[in-house]
Amino acid sequence: MFRGEQAEMIGSEILSTLLGSEVRGDLLVLFHRNPGLIDTVDGVARRIGRTTVAVINEVRELLELGVLRQKRIGAFEVVSLDRAKDRELLESVANHLKTVRISGEK
Amino acid sequence: MRVSDSSWTSPRGNFESVPTSLSSDQRFTAERAFSSVLVSTVREVVGDALGRNVLEILTSKGLLDASNNAKEFDLKLQSLFGNGATVLERIVVKDLNRKLGIPYDSEARFDYEKSLEKAKEVCFVESRLK
Repeated sequence: MFRGEQAEMIGSEILSTLLGSEVRGDLLVLFHRNPGLIDTVDGVARRIGRTTVAVINEVRELLELGVLRQKRIGAFEVVSLDRAKDRELLESVANHLKTVRISGEK
Repeated sequence: MRVSDSSWTSPRGNFESVPTSLSSDQRFTAERAFSSVLVSTVREVVGDALGRNVLEILTSKGLLDASNNAKEFDLKLQSLFGNGATVLERIVVKDLNRKLGIPYDSEARFDYEKSLEKAKEVCFVESRLK
């Protein structure tokens, strides 16, 4: 596989993961609008008007992708935005989208 | 409450329900107000979900030119994001509804075009009450 092809595939996969569900989209918007946010999964769920059960797997997906990171503060496990990794992933998405033809585009 | 007395179809096939009791000036103002809120909401949502670089690329590809035409916008979004298009559309509608004070039910069946029609009707009703 050529390097360009690999980069394109990765960009499209990242995009599919980022927009894999409405809750994941809500989480992205929440953390991008509040890049300094550090909160528990319970707290994050409340902030987007969801239950912890509805959010926990979506947070896990974003942790695996690297957009979010987890750490322990005292008795609490908290999540926050990994700004450097997030920037890197969104750059891959942007590079992928540059190559995609939009419907009706000349 | 009935908010629409008649319907019309614009040449581009976008929003159909428009209250008849608005004067043409009021209608023009309401159209512009709704368009402005919608475009800014789409920009905010795409930029906040996927970053400024992605927003700039999509703008250069003409995605935002189609913001006011739900069908065309949906088609363009689908061609770029596939299933992810619905996720972005849901967030757009949720933010738009919040701005206009319309309840949003995330469990309800989702139809982007109908959601925008409903939001537009609210804009028109508000214009009529002013």
